[in-house]
Amino acid sequence: MDRENTRSVNMTFSVLGSSGPVLAPRVGKLAIAGRKALATPHYLPVTSRGVVPHISQDNVRNETDINALYAGLEDFLGKHNKSPVNNISVDANESPLRKFMCASPDSPLILGPRRFPAIACPPVNTETSIAISTSDGYRQLPGEQYIQTIRKFKPDLVIGLADMVLGKPPGNKRRGKMVDRTHAYTRDALDKLYGDAVPEAEKCPAGYFAPILPLDNTQQTLYLDDLETEFRSRLAGLALYESASLSFIPESLGALPRILFSDPSGPHEVLREISLGADLLTLPFIGVSSDAGIALDFTFPAPPQENGNEPIALGIDMWSSQYAKDTSALREGCECYACRRHHRAYFNHLLNAKEMTAWALLQMHNFHVLDLFFQGVRESIQRGSFEEDVKVFNRVYASTLPESTGTGPRLRGYQFPSALTNQPRRTPRVYGRLDDALKKFQDSQSSVVTPDTDADGLEQHGFAFKV
Amino acid sequence: MSTTTESTRKSMPSALTFERHAKCSATKARASTLHLPHGDVPLPIFMPVATQASLKGLTYDQLRDTGCMLCLNNTYHLGLKPGQEVLDAVGGAHKLQGWDRNLLTDSGGFQMVSLLKLATVTEEGVRFLSPHDGSPMLLTPEHSISLQNSIGSDIIMQLDDVIATTSPDHARIKEAMERSIRWLDRCIDAHQYPERQNLFCIIQGGLDLELRKQCCEEMVARDTPGIAIGGLSGGEAKEEFCKVVDTCTSALPDNKPRYVMGVGYPEDIVVAVALGADMFDCVWPTRTARFGQAIVSSGTMNLRNKIYAEDFTPIDEGCTCTCCRPTDQGGLGLTKAYMHHVTAKETVGAHLLSIHNVHFMLNLMGNVRQAILEDRYPAFVRDFFSMIYDGDKSKYPGWAVGALRGVGMDLLAD
Repeated sequence: MDRENTRSVNMTFSVLGSSGPVLAPRVGKLAIAGRKALATPHYLPVTSRGVVPHISQDNVRNETDINALYAGLEDFLGKHNKSPVNNISVDANESPLRKFMCASPDSPLILGPRRFPAIACPPVNTETSIAISTSDGYRQLPGEQYIQTIRKFKPDLVIGLADMVLGKPPGNKRRGKMVDRTHAYTRDALDKLYGDAVPEAEKCPAGYFAPILPLDNTQQTLYLDDLETEFRSRLAGLALYESASLSFIPESLGALPRILFSDPSGPHEVLREISLGADLLTLPFIGVSSDAGIALDFTFPAPPQENGNEPIALGIDMWSSQYAKDTSALREGCECYACRRHHRAYFNHLLNAKEMTAWALLQMHNFHVLDLFFQGVRESIQRGSFEEDVKVFNRVYASTLPESTGTGPRLRGYQFPSALTNQPRRTPRVYGRLDDALKKFQDSQSSVVTPDTDADGLEQHGFAFKV
Repeated sequence: MSTTTESTRKSMPSALTFERHAKCSATKARASTLHLPHGDVPLPIFMPVATQASLKGLTYDQLRDTGCMLCLNNTYHLGLKPGQEVLDAVGGAHKLQGWDRNLLTDSGGFQMVSLLKLATVTEEGVRFLSPHDGSPMLLTPEHSISLQNSIGSDIIMQLDDVIATTSPDHARIKEAMERSIRWLDRCIDAHQYPERQNLFCIIQGGLDLELRKQCCEEMVARDTPGIAIGGLSGGEAKEEFCKVVDTCTSALPDNKPRYVMGVGYPEDIVVAVALGADMFDCVWPTRTARFGQAIVSSGTMNLRNKIYAEDFTPIDEGCTCTCCRPTDQGGLGLTKAYMHHVTAKETVGAHLLSIHNVHFMLNLMGNVRQAILEDRYPAFVRDFFSMIYDGDKSKYPGWAVGALRGVGMDLLAD
């Protein structure tokens, strides 16, 4: 096992255990001055409008182990790309973004240009800007503005601009353009934030994660070469958008921490990404599961399988009526807030009643399950038994998360790509749905001897007793 | 009119102690403590409404931290979901929702007003359509009490015949009042656990003060542990509302808690306290929170308004809730600008503002109580109105001035 350190202005990444610089699972420590160190591999909690969905800031601090936050700049921009964050008053080294979103000072704060997952924008990216979706509509985010915002918002780490094509695979010509533009965005940002022309006192303290495009390595050779040479000293880490990119990270960049912005379908895929060397991973399936009423239920390493039984389910669909009277915890022995306080019957009730508390509690539980999962992963890698543990995990657990049978919270436009026209409603109508029943009710009353709704009259005819 | 005579009436054990501490020397306001099976409740009190066994996204600890000692569940909703069978299996609503403080359940009677076009009232009970699947249902006083026995709430309400106070049909109002008394007797008979659940009667009689007096007399004779004034907050004029509360409290004994159902706004509560009421509930603080409306000492403000987009002051200056308290005092130090940023866009926006609004109401009640204990309630009421109307007495609502004058207090005095 080798030890290698990456140091940017304020960030240190030390690899504590790994079998190789690239394409191998590794345990590391990402330390940022003034923040609690992050043990990797770890999931990267993604915020929406500054908040971990459904978990209010006080609960994040008091009742979860959520210890890092990713925020997309587009969530904080409004008309004319103005942001309220620009005008908040802060102490000298305080991050206005952190203050605005009331994030704990302990958590590393990572800023990217867009939410994750981002929705595809109708406007196209340009040579100097990318298209974003703000609360006030689609806009262009110029690279220049992004650089200024990084200086202003003072995040701990920042994800560089990339020319991405969302929603459809890019054509051949477009791919070339993607590389050229991303190359240019990166060069420009690194120059203006950390370049030789920038006085020492004004060099940006935030660590810069350069994007690697979700393309073949042959298509981005020139860019990768520059990352290895000219840009290398200014890089704090790499941002990847598909696990395949992990396979062509040059060895000379192996010491850099890697954030993988992907949407794995479940823990099996997460393990595969970790085995390829991902350090921080976005896991949209945590929130998707909570919204769907699914309590995740898996551990790593997997528990010993009872002699050749069915694969164990990865989660429990709390909508199922079989839990209506079940007073056991979501998961036996679980120490998360939700399991300490509540039982399955309550979750089943809350989901049926469409109460917001269901999602808040499930989200806390699901994050806790992932906390333990990643802890198990790190221990397994350090023990050297990771490969074997993954094999057992894949054998013991079902390959996919359970299907949801219920409905989740109402989705907002920024969470869901706008549907094509003439699509069926995403959610059924709530108002007026009794109108049909009311008509039947009235019809049924008219067949009673006295159709009058007067109480005495109805009682006289025994109406009240005939339910 | 009553179906039971005094002598055959079932005696009414009580599972509460009502301890009176102070009475305002000018108005009818009183400060007391209600000792209930799940803890002591300082009165006067506002009770937040956790309709379906959860307070709109808040966790147990978040609700507890607002200082809430007593909150509401709705019998009608819990009867539909999760239903009596589940409640019995789980062991009641406290166990269902993991709440170890007090619960009050309403009887489901109020839903008659809100679902009137779907309901028919008979002497037997109320027939209505399930709002969930449209199937016809019958709610009788016995059903309601049986459900509330299964829920296990610390305070249960009789089923009453609620009709809108604004109804022009006087005969119907009289009938509803008389029927409510008969139903109270059926509720008393049906109540299985009077030694651990307190049954409150509900005074009816619309806006007719004579009917209200009659109802008080009949119901007080039945000696329930507490008394509610019902049928209000249905759109009647505030003057009428005050007259009814004032009339009822004068006809009620001093040694029982008085609960005005479905009220309400801070102004209504502050005035109703002066008229001698002790307990209040309303969905408004939590409902309005979901629409981005914050309750503050100067009234309300809609945080979705653009003027708050860059307002970096707390929701309510000096408020001690988790949201408003600065970070160096262990709070979140949230700003109006951030609330504007998340309101109606993230569920957390509703959670945070619900925390603030409920805390605001409970804190207001704490201040009300303290003022009564120190016998300076009239001064408190004057300050309270002055804050809301920015000291402009010409803007004070006439109903409040009139109602307070009726109990010996001049709101317009300096």
